[in-house]
Order: sequence, then structure tokens, then C-alpha cells
Amino acid sequence: VSSRDATFLSGDAQARLGDIVGAREVTRQPRELAAVGASSEGVPTFLVRPGTASEIAEVVRLAAKLGAVVLPVGTASRRPRTSSRPRILLDIKRLDHVTFLDETSLVVQVQAGATGLGLEELLRPRGLTLGDFPPAVLGSTVGGMLSVRTPGKSSPRHGFLEDAVLGVSAVLADGRTLHTRVAPRRATGPDLGRVLLGSEGSLGIMTGCVLRIHRRPETRLLDAHRLPDFAAAVTAAAAALRSDAKPAALRLFDPAEAAAYLGEEIAPGAAVLCVATAGPSELATVDREIFASFAQQHGGTPLGPGPAEIWWKRRFGQGSQTTAPSLEITAPLHRLPIVHAAIQAAAVGAGRRARAHASRLDEWSGCLFVTLLDGERPDPAGPARAAVTQAAHAAGADLVGVRDADFLPYLAALKARLDPAGIFGDPS
Amino acid sequence: MSVFVPHHVSVWYRPAVTAPVPLDELRRQLAAVVGDRRVSTREPDRAHYARDMWPRLLLGLRDGAPAAYPPDLVVWPHTVEEIRDVVALARKLHVPLVPYGAGSGVAGGALPLFGGITLDLKRMDRILAVDEGALTVEAEAGINGERLERDLDRRGYTLGHFPSSIYCSTLGGWLAARSGGQMSTKYGKIEDMVLGVTAVTGRGEIVTTGRHGRATSGPDWTQLLVGSEGTLGVIASARLRIHRRPEVRHLRGFEFPRLTAGLEAIRRVLQRGLRPAVVRLYDEFDSAMNFARGDHTETRRPGAPPIGGRSGQSQAPLPGHGALPDIPIGVPARDDGPLAWVRTLVPGLGGAGKRILQAGLGVALERPRLLNALLESAATSLSRHGCLLIVGVEGGKARADVEADLVWRELSQAGGKDLGTGPGERWLSRRYAVSYEMPKMFSSGAFVDTMEVASTWERLLDLYTGVRRAIGEHAFVMAHFSHAYPEGCSIYFTFAGHAPNRAAAERKYDAIWRDGLAAATRAGGTISHHHGVGLLKAPFMADEHRESMALYQAVKDTLDPEGICNPGKMGLKAPRDLAGVQR
Repeated sequence: VSSRDATFLSGDAQARLGDIVGAREVTRQPRELAAVGASSEGVPTFLVRPGTASEIAEVVRLAAKLGAVVLPVGTASRRPRTSSRPRILLDIKRLDHVTFLDETSLVVQVQAGATGLGLEELLRPRGLTLGDFPPAVLGSTVGGMLSVRTPGKSSPRHGFLEDAVLGVSAVLADGRTLHTRVAPRRATGPDLGRVLLGSEGSLGIMTGCVLRIHRRPETRLLDAHRLPDFAAAVTAAAAALRSDAKPAALRLFDPAEAAAYLGEEIAPGAAVLCVATAGPSELATVDREIFASFAQQHGGTPLGPGPAEIWWKRRFGQGSQTTAPSLEITAPLHRLPIVHAAIQAAAVGAGRRARAHASRLDEWSGCLFVTLLDGERPDPAGPARAAVTQAAHAAGADLVGVRDADFLPYLAALKARLDPAGIFGDPS
Repeated sequence: MSVFVPHHVSVWYRPAVTAPVPLDELRRQLAAVVGDRRVSTREPDRAHYARDMWPRLLLGLRDGAPAAYPPDLVVWPHTVEEIRDVVALARKLHVPLVPYGAGSGVAGGALPLFGGITLDLKRMDRILAVDEGALTVEAEAGINGERLERDLDRRGYTLGHFPSSIYCSTLGGWLAARSGGQMSTKYGKIEDMVLGVTAVTGRGEIVTTGRHGRATSGPDWTQLLVGSEGTLGVIASARLRIHRRPEVRHLRGFEFPRLTAGLEAIRRVLQRGLRPAVVRLYDEFDSAMNFARGDHTETRRPGAPPIGGRSGQSQAPLPGHGALPDIPIGVPARDDGPLAWVRTLVPGLGGAGKRILQAGLGVALERPRLLNALLESAATSLSRHGCLLIVGVEGGKARADVEADLVWRELSQAGGKDLGTGPGERWLSRRYAVSYEMPKMFSSGAFVDTMEVASTWERLLDLYTGVRRAIGEHAFVMAHFSHAYPEGCSIYFTFAGHAPNRAAAERKYDAIWRDGLAAATRAGGTISHHHGVGLLKAPFMADEHRESMALYQAVKDTLDPEGICNPGKMGLKAPRDLAGVQR
């Protein structure tokens, strides 16, 4: 234990943090640290649970005085970043209030600690929704969802989650609080909220945001089609999307994934395209029919809504669960079949098998979720992972969480301006 | 070097120009980068690049005053590497540098406030790739908007971006100022279309954004460079989403008894998940002008192709034609803008109004409050019409046909009277038929300009009445609502004023913007929806963004540490030690 760490521990840090957030909301208990994905090993670590944005600002100012770093933690879906300095972990789950709901403009202001599902619970009885985003994504806190940019948080009708952000509230390293202003669109300089979105809390702590919301659809229709192979399913879906169909959600299973997920008997040896459409019933119907017609053109046969209902229920956590995919990648829509084939070949080359489904497609791109198998057993961490990753990348896919090499020096310089003392740690 | 700074700017801005660089030396070094023929120090070039389309500058031009902000040199780069070398040189010497597209900006954004280098990008006008698999286009920043759209159209695609400046603006200009087109409700603004840019930062380095799409972690550099109006660097090329050219286009006019009824109808349509491409609602005055001009009747220019088809039917846009009519070459100034529109109302005005207008339009415009009040009472009785809404739905036939029916039905249920295809068709055929000559009214001592603000629906009426009242103290004002979104809408005010001399006109002009934008901020709106900030709105950026300006300043200091990129704009801090050019 270094002298600084010793001072931090033995000094009045806990008391001073307690003065800000309340003594009960400061802890060093290993069990409580473990609950947010942190460990009590290594550098001294406090977990604090502020209840307001101004408490966060005070914690940040205190951290500057104590030489500690402040790192946000969420639902333990990601580990807090490591640091060589004492850590103050910020659990913002108490900041879970909806502070403003504008049902005229369909805009909601929510604190960063609210979960997507919690927000949905408030919106549902009012006939409102955050949008057709994957339910799995909505389990995280709003702050967590927006601090990491991934292609998976999207829907063909409602776009990407970060595009639904009309305003951001945050605390900067010097303890200043800021709120970017809300307008449907503007032409008054760069989109300043984009400095903080996706920056994982390394440039500022997001305390809340203003989001677009939607009216719940009047109708929701499900449908499914059997297609000869995965490539045909992608081609059919792409043709439908590019004919302006706007589905609520899509899922394309390759034959192995279809068998594992929907059951062996539904479409043996074939790929399955599941379509959910929503909106005014005439539009939901025409969207469904556009998909049906392109599926047919690409050698498909209708399966009716049955398989799609299995998918839809599981999407909301009902029915039997399957293991999490080993790999999530994104690719331009027209390259998905090529990437898929490359992944299959690489998996076989490494003595494994791969099955996959595509989801979150729009006119331009889609996500591929790959499960690696050793025999029948999922093998996410096995030797095939690196080979498959490499092959997918070579075939034109992007791996989630990549850093843009061109901008590394700029990110470091921006960090130096906004957080010269490194209170928010190093960029992960 | 003398710098003229207009009254409303000098309040907050004190230029600091030191350590002069000899012109000949700078010219020689720039010629070594781009070639001798692509550097100019000639007076006609300097005079030309001293202006954009900011109406305030026309007041000086009318008086024959010398250009206030000439660059010292104009440079025409051909490649992104040349831009990089020019910026690196400018950075080394601390010489200011301003990118320039087609000069159609209306906020003074491209004016070289401290001289230095103007970088005209028009020679970088290539389409680098149209990727039909990925449905993207990559083009250089200097490409003219019409050329880009026509090229895509020939291949069966559209960008979906139709600003009224499309014939005289560039892709780079659109991105720099967050341009919006007339079909933004369906296709979005330019910031919604762009996937990535290649730019040269103020550090003289080439960077490409958006390579990994949404997979990238860290700030979204694309959305920081877009809208930065040259203050962070120079956008050299961009990759954008394109769409299949729409198979059908349905256009309709609707008439609403009141403005509020029309707005409510639009809100209902959009919040039901319907996405018309065109949504334009004219306020009572603007509608009255439209109706008085016969814009609601089913007339077509002789020989012009039918665009919307017969009522209830649709027709594919003509191949190679897209949504873009032929450029209106040689269109004579049809009218003097708002003045002529006022004139169309004269026959219906009562005694006092008629007397005032007969005394001369200039005289009338000098009593804006009276004029606005007279027109307010006249417009309703004159027109016997309410507010005109033009709405268009387009896209793939199967879906657009159904969507159009749903939109018409929703509008009818909200109290709209269906006027058939005439008004939309007429708007579509006329929407670019503006004169490219200086409006005649400028020579008669009057001026005209537009102010585009936006807010969420909940604040929209406050925004409308607040800004309209603020402008109405000084000028004749009318408005239409376009660029509607599920969460809000933009308002486009057109105003015309008059003053006896240039100094008085400039004072009045500045007061209109000061009061109008303050009213917009007070109502919780934004001060610009798609024209940008430039010099005009720079003093109001602090009120617009407040403490968030710290983020912009941090990004500015990161990408342009010497402050050479378009200094004096956007409300950013003044650079400390810019070099002047010794002529």
C-alpha cells in the first residue's frame, strides 16, 4: 500500500464522501463491490451511490482533492476500468427518475441511472415506448447504454439509440454541470452531446439525457419464411428494406441456428427469416407483404407466424434461454453473406463449427451474432474465436468497440483539455 | 492590416493580429504546394471571395462600399494532400484559413474576417465511388449539389437532399453548416445522411471518420466535424447514404381553418409513424400570398411535365429528372419577394392600409408594426382561406401508396380540406424558380432576409408568436413551417425592412436579428435549423449553448490548437496570435 493509498484509506475520505451522499451510500464491502463487477483487491476502492447530479459534481471535486479517480459503474454488465490510483466507483442507480415527460413532443428527460426497461414500464401505460430496441439492450441503465456505442442498439423503424438523444446532462472533471440544449434538429455548430456519448465516462459523467420516444404501435404482425440458405435470406431482406419496408424487427437464422433456436422440425436444412412489422395496420400489413413477396422471389416458402412467435417470446426473455453468442460483429448489409461464409470456413479450419443469426438490419448494415461450437457444446473462448474474428474482419466486418487510429492522438488531446488531472481515469 | 468588424460583432470580438508574414513569401510557398496558377492575389479574386450571400453584405454592396473582408490569397487545391500541405503551412505561419464552397451561405460563415488564405474547394468535385451494394456515395467536398444529385439520379438513386440552394451550393458547404433540404422529413438533414468524412484538421493532418461505423468507441468525430463551419478544419470528401430513386411521388394540398389546426394535424401524422417527404404549412399571411398568386389552382407551366399526376393518382418521377427540375436559367426576377407579395394583398386592403401602401412600399415598410397589424386583419378576410399545407409522400410504390392514403386520411380527420394535387404540383415545379439576381428591392433601400428557428412541438407556438412579434417591431414578417419531425418542427420567417440609408438599414437589420434570436432562445428554441451560424449568429452562440460551449471550445483547441481555422466565427474564443499578411 503506497503512502497515498494509505492516506486515502486512513484519512477521512469515507467520512467526506458520506457528507456528500449520506454515510449509508458509501461502502467498501467486498460483497457490494462484487455486485457492480468490481473487486476490493488492488487499489483502495470506495463505492458511492449519489442521489443527485449535484452530489456527483461534489464527489468529482472531492476526488480531485484526494487524487482519486471517479469511474461510473452500472448493472455489472461491464467491469469498471482499472486504475493505479484510488478509485471512487459511482453507482448511479439512485438517479433513476424520469424528470420530465413531454407527451406533446414525445420527448422524455430521464436520469442516467434509470434502466431502459424501467423507463418502458413508466411509458407503457401511457401508450408510449422508447422504440423497437432489442429488449436485451434495455436491461442496462440509460447512462450505460449511451456510454458505449454499439451497432446493436438499433431498429429499422427507430434508428440507433444514440440518434434518439436530443440532449445530454453531464458533470465535467472540474465539477461543472452542463446540459446540451434540446431541439429537433439544429445548425448551430457540432453536435456537442456526441463528445460524451460513447466515451465510456472518460470525458465526463453523464447524469441524464433527453430522449425521443414513440407512440406504441396500433398493430403488430409476425411472419416467417423458409429460405434455401443464409445468403438468400439476407438478399431477400435487403431487397425488402431497400423497397422502403420498415419492419419493427428482423431476425435471420442460418440453418444450424434455426434448428438450435426454433427447433429441428421447423425448416430442416434451411435458413429462416422472421419479420415483425408494426404501426397503423395498413402499413404493418404492407410491410409484411413486401417481405413475403421478396422472400418468395428468392426461393422462400411461407412458414406463417409460428416460428416468429417463438423468436418474439424469447426476445422478451420468455421460453428457454440459449447461451450468449461468442461474437458480435457488424457489416454492410450486402457483405453479410460473405462474412458469414468466411466465419463458417474459419471455424471449420479451427476444428469447430459456427452457427449464426443476423439481426438489427437496416438498409445499410446489419449485426451478426455468432455462436462457436465444439461438437454440440458452445465454445466461446476456444481457439476458434481468434481465427473467426480475423476471418470476419478480412471479409469486411467491423468488430464492436474498435478505436479509430486516426483519432487516438486527438482523443488524448481532448482528454487532456477536459480532464487534465485524469479524474475520470484513462480512456479504456 | 485594417479589419472592419460590424457593430454587433465588435462588442465581443477584439482581433489580435501580430507578426506579419510577407505576401510574396506566402504566395511562393503556397505555389510550391498547389502550383503557381492555383494561387491568386489578384484584386478581382479578393473582392469575389470577400462575400457570400449574407444579405447584410448586400447593403454595403448596394452603396458601392469596398468589400469588408477580402482574403489575402485564394488557393484552389486539387487533392486532400494539397489541402493538408496548405493547412500545415498556414499553421506554421499562424495565417488564418477559410474553406469556401460555392459562396451561397447566408450568415457570413465563409468571410475571411482576418484575411489570410481562402481555400476554394470547387476543383475537388469528383464522385469517388457510388457503391450500389452498400448503397453509399463518396464524393469530394467541392462538388455542386445539382451535379451530385443528377449523377445519382441517372444511376437510379437519390441522396434525398434538396436545399433551395442546390444549384449554387456544394456538398462541403452542406456538411459544414448542417444543411437541410425540402424533403428532410423523410430523408433527414445532411447530418442524418453522412456516414463519414475525410478532413484535414487544423493540425494539418488528414483524418477519416466513420470507417468502422457504429462499432467505434469514443466521441463521434463525424458529428463533431459536421456543422463546424470550417472552425475545426477542412472537409475534403464525405461518404453518405443514398436511397433508391422513389418509384412514386404523391403530392397534395390541404387547407386548414387555422394555423394551430394545421400544426396539430402535422404532429398527428408524424407521431403515428408516417413519414411524408415534404411538409410545408404556411401561416395565414404566407398562405394568403400563396392563394392570391393562385398557388392552390391546378395550373401547370405550358410544356412542363405533369409531376404529381391527376388527383388520386401518382406518377413516377421522370428518369434523369428525379425531384430536380431543370435549372431555371435566365428566369427573370419574377417579383421582389415579400414586397410584391404585399402588393398582391393591396386590392383587398381597406382605406388606411391602401393609403399607406400607395404612399410607397418603402414608406409602408418603415411602419412595420402598422403594416403587420393591417395585414393581420386583412389576410383573413382577403383570402377567405385558412392556412395552406403542402404535403408529399414518396418511395417504393407498394408502401408509398398505402402511406399516402393514411396521411391524407389523417389530415382530413384533423380538419384539413383536400385541395387535390394542384398546390403541391405547383410548389414542386416552382420551388427553385428563384432569381439569382440581387433582389430589386435592395436597390430601393429595402432589405429582405430569412430566419429559420426550431423547437419541440410543445414550445412551437410560443416560438412562433415570440419571434414573429420581435421581428414585427422592425419589419414586415411572415412565416411557413417546414422540416417537421415527430418531436418538433422548424419555422422559416421571411422579413422585409426599409431604412433611409445604409447605416440605418444595418442598425435595423442587426436589431431584427438581435431581438428575433433572443426571442427564439427565450421560447426554448434553437437559433438556427439549417442556415448555420457564421458571423451573423456568432454573438448568440453563448445563449444558445451556454455552459456546453466549453465542449465546443475543448474540441476546437484539440483539432485547431493555433486557432487558424475560420477565426472569429461561431462564438469561439479569439485566437491569441494570428499572423497578418503584409501586402
